[in-house]
Amino acid sequence: MTKIIIDGKEYDLDPNLTLLQACEAAGKEIPRFCFHERLSIAGNCRMCLVEVRMGGRPGPKPVASCAQQLRDLPPVKEGQPLHEIVTGSPTVKKAREGVMEFLLINHPLDCPICDQGGECDLQDQAMAYGHDKLERFKENKRAVTEKNMGPLVKTIMTRCIHCTRCVRFAAEVAGVDEIGAIGRGEDMEITTYLEKAVTSELSGNIIDLCPVGALTSKPYAFNARPWELKKIESIDVMDALGANIRIDARGREVMRILPRNNDDVNEEWISDKTRFVWDGLKRQRLDRPYVRKDGKLTEADWPEAFAAIAARFATTKPERMAAIVGDLADAESIKALKDLMTALGVVNLDCRQDGAKIGLAPDGTRGPRAGYLFNSGIASVEAADALLLIGTNPRMEAPVLNARIRKAWLRGNLNIARLGPPADLNYPVCELGNNPADLIAIADGRHAAFETLKSAKHPMLIIGMGALARPDGAAVLAACAKIASATGMIGPEGEAGWNGFNLLHTAAARVAALDLGFLPGQGGRDTAGIVAGAGKGEIDTLFLLGADEIDTRALGKAFVIYLGSHGDKGAHRADIILPGAAYTEKPGTYVNIEGRVQRANRASFPPGEAKEDWTILRALSEVLGRKLPYDSLAQLREAMASDAPHVAQLDKAPGFPPADPAIWRAIGTAGPIDNAHPFVYPISDFYLTNPIARASATLAECSRSSAGRPLASAAE
Amino acid sequence: MSTRRLAPDQPATFAFTAENLAWAKDRIAKYPDGRQASAIVPLLWRAQEQQGGYVTEPMLRYLGDMLGLSYIRVYEIATFYTMFNLAPVGRHLIQVCTTTPCMLRGSDEILDACKKHIGPKPQTVYGEGLWSWMEVECLGACVNAPVVQIGKDFYEDLDGPATERLLDDLKAGRAPKPGPANGRFSSEPLGGATTLKEVKA
Amino acid sequence: MRLLGRLFQLLFTWWNGATIGTLWTISRTGQLVGEDEQGNRYYQQRGGSRRWVVYNGYADASRVPPEWHPWLHHTLKEPPTLAPPKVKPWEKEHVPNMTGTPFAYRPPGSLAGTGARARGTGDYEAWKP
Repeated sequence: MTKIIIDGKEYDLDPNLTLLQACEAAGKEIPRFCFHERLSIAGNCRMCLVEVRMGGRPGPKPVASCAQQLRDLPPVKEGQPLHEIVTGSPTVKKAREGVMEFLLINHPLDCPICDQGGECDLQDQAMAYGHDKLERFKENKRAVTEKNMGPLVKTIMTRCIHCTRCVRFAAEVAGVDEIGAIGRGEDMEITTYLEKAVTSELSGNIIDLCPVGALTSKPYAFNARPWELKKIESIDVMDALGANIRIDARGREVMRILPRNNDDVNEEWISDKTRFVWDGLKRQRLDRPYVRKDGKLTEADWPEAFAAIAARFATTKPERMAAIVGDLADAESIKALKDLMTALGVVNLDCRQDGAKIGLAPDGTRGPRAGYLFNSGIASVEAADALLLIGTNPRMEAPVLNARIRKAWLRGNLNIARLGPPADLNYPVCELGNNPADLIAIADGRHAAFETLKSAKHPMLIIGMGALARPDGAAVLAACAKIASATGMIGPEGEAGWNGFNLLHTAAARVAALDLGFLPGQGGRDTAGIVAGAGKGEIDTLFLLGADEIDTRALGKAFVIYLGSHGDKGAHRADIILPGAAYTEKPGTYVNIEGRVQRANRASFPPGEAKEDWTILRALSEVLGRKLPYDSLAQLREAMASDAPHVAQLDKAPGFPPADPAIWRAIGTAGPIDNAHPFVYPISDFYLTNPIARASATLAECSRSSAGRPLASAAE
Repeated sequence: MSTRRLAPDQPATFAFTAENLAWAKDRIAKYPDGRQASAIVPLLWRAQEQQGGYVTEPMLRYLGDMLGLSYIRVYEIATFYTMFNLAPVGRHLIQVCTTTPCMLRGSDEILDACKKHIGPKPQTVYGEGLWSWMEVECLGACVNAPVVQIGKDFYEDLDGPATERLLDDLKAGRAPKPGPANGRFSSEPLGGATTLKEVKA
Repeated sequence: MRLLGRLFQLLFTWWNGATIGTLWTISRTGQLVGEDEQGNRYYQQRGGSRRWVVYNGYADASRVPPEWHPWLHHTLKEPPTLAPPKVKPWEKEHVPNMTGTPFAYRPPGSLAGTGARARGTGDYEAWKP
């Protein structure tokens, strides 16, 4: 620790802090443009100038506080006073005013038509450090042509102040070295190589990083002002990571989605799918109930739809009924559906639309929670030193997690290998081929990867749904569990513990549904069984809670009830449509891959006659004569907590599970692994993985423009 | 100095000649492991010479692939250094220094001579690829100002008529003699020694 | 009869041409400076200390075209008859204020306009089977 005086008060701080961070720690705000905690230090905006007084003497000149650490200061001489950082002296103010004057020389005064207006660092800091007394720049202002950066990022490059945050983000965090600064001096311009679109799933984050209005959101352009937006803290459902987001709504319209800082989950990044899905919330909406009459879906009202369902249910035996939970469902509606189905005696329940063999023990009972979680926790990826990816492409399945893996790789010491088809992950990967049976070889110690994992201090597996959503998925899971126990991935609990057995889900609803046991009961069918049964006429009535990723054309003559927010495959096939709420329109609970329970909040109301999903199920239960025992969200959440107590513990990852061998034997079913069918990644088009994303014009455009991208090419 | 951009018309490909490739390999080998990308400036320079004095877009990609540098980084370097020309130049590239010492010693006369003999616009090829001229910043030969660089040679202590003679020689295909044009050998005082006169040779 | 109507207007209305008092003052001290395309006539007191416009018909200040406006308001010394302003090719014809007439400007979405509502907040596209 280093003792330092900041504005007259003495502090004892970590010597690795920069002067800027030290001042922050002391509660002093230092203006900055180029400095960003999660990016490398550039030191090129010079806005963070402070005065450092050494040995009681004024410093020779102001110092860029972002580019110097406390330990860089010369040692304090015997008998001399401590070094002092002065953040508010007239020298500092004058120096910053000078910097601001230079920045503003070439910055256009178009704040009234700038989308950054109202949330612009330059605007804010000009309030403190700008001055209009001199006006000495009489020459022509610089003008820069706009650059094409793809369908998401709008550029107004005349506003650029060359902080290079976007360049550093692309090179460091996103791992696509595609943005750069060409030219020099006054002619410096930020661009991509020959103005090609940035080929990153995280490119939207440069919009947030840009301290001025040079990079703004193209879909959001000229739509709203920050001060007229209602800001709602919520949770993302585009992937299973559960990124913390802030939904900005005006009236009942979601205008944009921004990330929220959560170091344990998404740091402060979100994927482009998360950020730009909002226009999908306004298109293809189910806004009234529909009932199929004479083969045609016709508009209906709620009592009519419920009556039709009741009539159907009255004539169907429970064993001929089934329910499937989709990928975006909140825990509350899953719980309500499960209770309703259980009351009706239905055992054909499943939440694994992709057919992943998880959640069940070999004997058909519910398996341990550790068997389907990202047990190490997301933040612990940074501690790993050996990582084996099994049938997973994290760049497509959870781009923000991929950035975290890349961060760990950049710090060095992370050895990454992959069992699966090649794909560019933005960091080098040792290819182990795509023979699923190699897993058994690794588990038995007959494979080179075994030694790497075994000798690592913090080894880690990430098992994707591409490896588990196959007929031998249970055997793959068992082999992975064996690898985990054989290579010492399963350490003790607690602070010093470790557990590197990680599953990477693709569906936001999956972990909550598994926690609540939305799985086939005794003698029940799983998703494949339900679909096949419907095709063969053995399942008569099928309830889909936003389930669109199953083969809806194979459902035969089954009577399909679809409860969801968007008209997609499920709604097209449905006989009765119950309009529900999208994730921005209901308060909901989601459990992310690491088992962290997070609450989403309502940003707007569902359109038309649509209602929150659980209220629909509650109303339906009354019509069916199986009234659910809760009348309010609070009561439902209480019921949920008595079912799965951890669902009441918000924002808390479960931590490493116990190293009890009994748990790890109950994960998956040992058996042969089919080597003839290599692993296939579950996501073929990153931008179109769920009904909301498929309704979004922006993401459709992204999907088109990324179609030619060499996603399957090997990493550099 | 204006904004520098790649020329609109670009050749389809670029590849080093066998000789240059061997030279490049040798050059790259001088850098420690993992730092090979640092060879980008000499390689760009050699590639520019091979291309006839300017940098092309396929060249950027070729060198980026050779050194494991992303294309945008090569592009940044090529646009940063003014010694890399981004558009075709003449066989003789006349680079006139117009920084303060040269300007005070009469570089304007040289510019006038260039405009008169070569063509009115800088960075433009005249005489069917024969020559082009451009203004450059300090060439580091201020003791012999004003200075002009043609190819790899410096022509120093020029004035208007001397420049015109120089350009006439170039046009006629004669090789003018580099160095001071006013009779000096290098940068000694023009009228003979002024100090240390008592020292005998 | 028309003459009688004109006389009546002159005596009792202030919104046609100029009032009788103004006409009297102009006739005593004013000199004609020019006339614009609409037939409005411009006068000034000798020396230019007072300037008048006598409308050709309905008296509405927005009928004064831009070339006469600055002279009338003492912004310019020379009337456009002596120093005609440069007309740029992109300049539009002068149009008086149309408010209150059927030609008044209606913003898009105005009920008095086309009636078609512009896209508003909260709009969504419903799914149709």
